[in-house]
Amino acid sequence: MIFVITEHRDNKLKSITSEALVFAQRVGQDFGQPVTAVVLGANVSGLADELKTKKIDRVIVAEHPDLAEYSPDRYVEALKTILGNEKPFLVIVGHTTQGMDFAPRLSVSLRRPLIAGCVEYEKQGDRLILTRQVFNAKMNMKTGVRGESPYFATASPGAFQADELQSGGNAEIVSVAVQFSGPVRRKLVERVEAPRGMVDLSAAPIIVAGGRGLKEKDNFKIVFELAEALGASVGASRPVVDSEWLPREYQVGSSGQTVSPKLYFAVGISGAIQHLVGMQTSRCIVAINKDVEAPIFKVAHYGIVDDLFKVVPALTKIFKDLKVS
Amino acid sequence: MKIISCIKPVPDPASRLIINESKTWIKDNDLTFVASEADNYALEEALRLKEKHQGDVAILSMGGDEAARVLRSGLAMGADRAIHLLDPKFKGADEFAAAETLAKAIEKDGGADLVLAGVQSDDLGTGMTGVMLAEFLGYAHATVVIGVEADPAAKTLKVKRELEGGINETVELPFPAVLTIQFGINQPRYASLKGIMAAKKKELKAWSAADLGLSDNLVGKPGAMYEVKEVFVPERKSRVEIITGTAEEAAAKLVEKLRKEAKVI
Ligand SMILES: Cc1cc2nc3c(=O)[nH]c(=O)nc-3n(C[C@H](O)[C@H](O)[C@H](O)COP(=O)(O)OP(=O)(O)OC[C@H]3O[C@@H](n4cnc5c(N)ncnc54)[C@H](O)[C@@H]3O)c2cc1C
Ligand SMILES: Cc1cc2nc3c(=O)[nH]c(=O)nc-3n(C[C@H](O)[C@H](O)[C@H](O)COP(=O)(O)OP(=O)(O)OC[C@H]3O[C@@H](n4cnc5c(N)ncnc54)[C@H](O)[C@@H]3O)c2cc1C
Repeated sequence: MIFVITEHRDNKLKSITSEALVFAQRVGQDFGQPVTAVVLGANVSGLADELKTKKIDRVIVAEHPDLAEYSPDRYVEALKTILGNEKPFLVIVGHTTQGMDFAPRLSVSLRRPLIAGCVEYEKQGDRLILTRQVFNAKMNMKTGVRGESPYFATASPGAFQADELQSGGNAEIVSVAVQFSGPVRRKLVERVEAPRGMVDLSAAPIIVAGGRGLKEKDNFKIVFELAEALGASVGASRPVVDSEWLPREYQVGSSGQTVSPKLYFAVGISGAIQHLVGMQTSRCIVAINKDVEAPIFKVAHYGIVDDLFKVVPALTKIFKDLKVS
Repeated sequence: MKIISCIKPVPDPASRLIINESKTWIKDNDLTFVASEADNYALEEALRLKEKHQGDVAILSMGGDEAARVLRSGLAMGADRAIHLLDPKFKGADEFAAAETLAKAIEKDGGADLVLAGVQSDDLGTGMTGVMLAEFLGYAHATVVIGVEADPAAKTLKVKRELEGGINETVELPFPAVLTIQFGINQPRYASLKGIMAAKKKELKAWSAADLGLSDNLVGKPGAMYEVKEVFVPERKSRVEIITGTAEEAAAKLVEKLRKEAKVI
C-alpha cells in the first residue's frame, strides 16, 4: 500500500499533492501496490470528492476540529493512528515547509527511514531505490532504505509532473475517526502576507536577476546597468537579500516573488530548487554562469558559460548600441 | 536561558566537489571546511537572545577535526562553551543517526531551553536534522524561523515562520523547543580579535559514542536508516543551447538569438 499525505489550504489541494500522487501512481504500477490518499482536516469532504476522481484506490478522510489548522503534534498523532492500522509500503509527503515540518518527526517516532527531496526512483528486483538531490541540486544520490516498511519519502516540488496525474478512478472514501491524547504544543497566532514593498516583478516583461556570483554589493551595479539598457526590472536570489545587498522585495523564489516574464536573465545564480520554482515558467531563460554543471542550465534556453564580469558588460554595451541605432 | 546551537562543518562553498571512487560520497580529505551558513545565523540568534535575557550558549558539532575548527570559530564569535562529538564510529551517519547522536549529547548536557539548528545544511541539505532532533528529545519545534521572541519567565516563545508564496505565520510554543533558523534572520557578527583571544580559554570538550552511552548499532553507518547506493551528476534533460566564443562574441550571438529566434526583444 502506498500512501500520499495530501496538502491543502483554504479548502484547495496544493499542486504538490498532484505531484506526489503521480509519484505514487508510478511506484504503485511498478510494484503492484494500491494507492491511498489521506486527507486530514475539518470539513474536507469536498477535497475527498475531488481526489476520488483520480486513478487511485482509496481516500482516507480524518476530520476533527483540531485538524482545521495544520499542527505538527496533531498530524503526527493522527498519522500514527491511521498508518498503524494499515501495512504501508511507502508514505509520500510533499517536500514543502509543511511536509518537512512533520515527516521527520513521524519517521523518528516510528524509527523508519525518510528520504527527503526525492526526484526519481528505481525498481531493482523487489527493492525500491529512491533518488534525491544533494549538494544544492548539483548531484543526485541513490539511496537504499533499510529494514521493514513503511518507508517515508518527500517529493521534491517540480520533480513529478502534475499534468501526468491519471484520473478515471472511482476510489472508495473511508472516514476514519481520530482521537487525540497529546497536547498541541505549537499554536498558530496569525498568518499574514509578508510585506510586499515597492517592487512588483509579477508583471515585468523582462527581468535581470543577479545572485551570489556577483560577489559583493557594489558589483550589483552591472546588473542594474544591463537592466537599464534593456528597459528591464531587477531581481535577485535569496543570498543577495540575506546579505543586504538589496531589499527583500527583489527576491525571486519560493520565499520571494513568483515571476513569469517573457525574458529572464539569471546572472551568477546556481539554480537551487527554491529559486527555480519562482521563475522556471518564464518564456525564455538565459543563464550566465561560469560553472557548466550549475543546475540553472537545466531550465535555461540559452546559456553562456563564462565569467559574468565579462559577459554582462558586453551585453549592456550591445543593448545600449541597439537603442541608439 | 540555556541555549544549544548546532553547527555542521561543510565544504567551503568555493570548493570544487568531486565524487569519490566508490561513488558514495565526495572526496573530502583535501577540502577546507566552514560552518554551514544557516548555522551562523542560528548562533547569532542564540547570542542575541543571551544578550537580552542572560544565560548560557553552548555550541555542538559532530564531525572530525574540521568540527573542532568550526567550534573554535563559534567560540570566537561569542559562544560560552563547545561540545565536540568526536568518534570514528560517528562516520557515515545519515540524518537519523546524526540527530539521535546530537540528541543524546544534549540530554547528557542536561537538556536545554532552546536548541537551534540551521534550516538546512549547505551540503546534503535535507533539512531534516532539527525536526528529528526535536522528536528524539521530545521537544516542541518550529521550522523556517525568521524571528524569535523569548519570554524566559513564562517559558514561552513567539516565533515567526516563513511559508511558501510570501506568507509568514506567527506561532507560540513552550520551552523546551528546537527551532530551525532560516537564512537572513539577522546579520551574523564577525569574530573580533578579542573574541579570538578569549576563545582560547573557553571550554571545548569532546564526547565519544561511549560517553553518550550509545551502542555501536545506533551511531554512524550502522545507525543509518538507509545506505548510499550511488552519488552521481544527473544527466540534464535540458533544452539549453550553450553559446560559445569570447565573452563579446557570445554576447553578440545571444542578442541575435533573442531577437531572431526567441523573438523576446
Ligand atoms: C526554506 C528556504 C527558502 C528559500 N527561498 C529562496 C528563494 O525564495 N529564492 C532564492 O533564490 N533562494 C531561496 N533559498 C536559498 C536557495 O536554497 C539557494 O541557497 C539560493 O538560491 C542560492 O543563491 P545563488 O544561486 O545566488 O547562490 P549560489 O548557489 O552560491 O550560486 C552562485 C553561482 O554563481 C556562479 N558564479 C560565481 N562567480 C561567477 C562569475 N564570476 N561568473 C559567472 N558565474 C559565477 C557560481 O558558479 C554559482 O553557480 C531558500 C532556501 C530555503 C532553505
Ligand atoms: C550514508 C551516509 C554517509 C555519510 N557520510 C558522511 C561522511 O562520510 N562525512 C560527512 O561529513 N557526512 C556524511 N554524511 C552526512 C551526515 O552524516 C548527515 O547526513 C548530516 O549530518 C545530516 O544531514 P544534512 O546535512 O542533510 O542536515 P540538515 O538537516 O540539512 O541540517 C540542518 C542543521 O542540522 C544541524 N546539523 C546537521 N548535521 C550536524 C552535525 N554533524 N553536527 C552538528 N549539527 C548538525 C545543523 O544545525 C544544520 O544546519 C553521510 C550521510 C549518509 C546518508
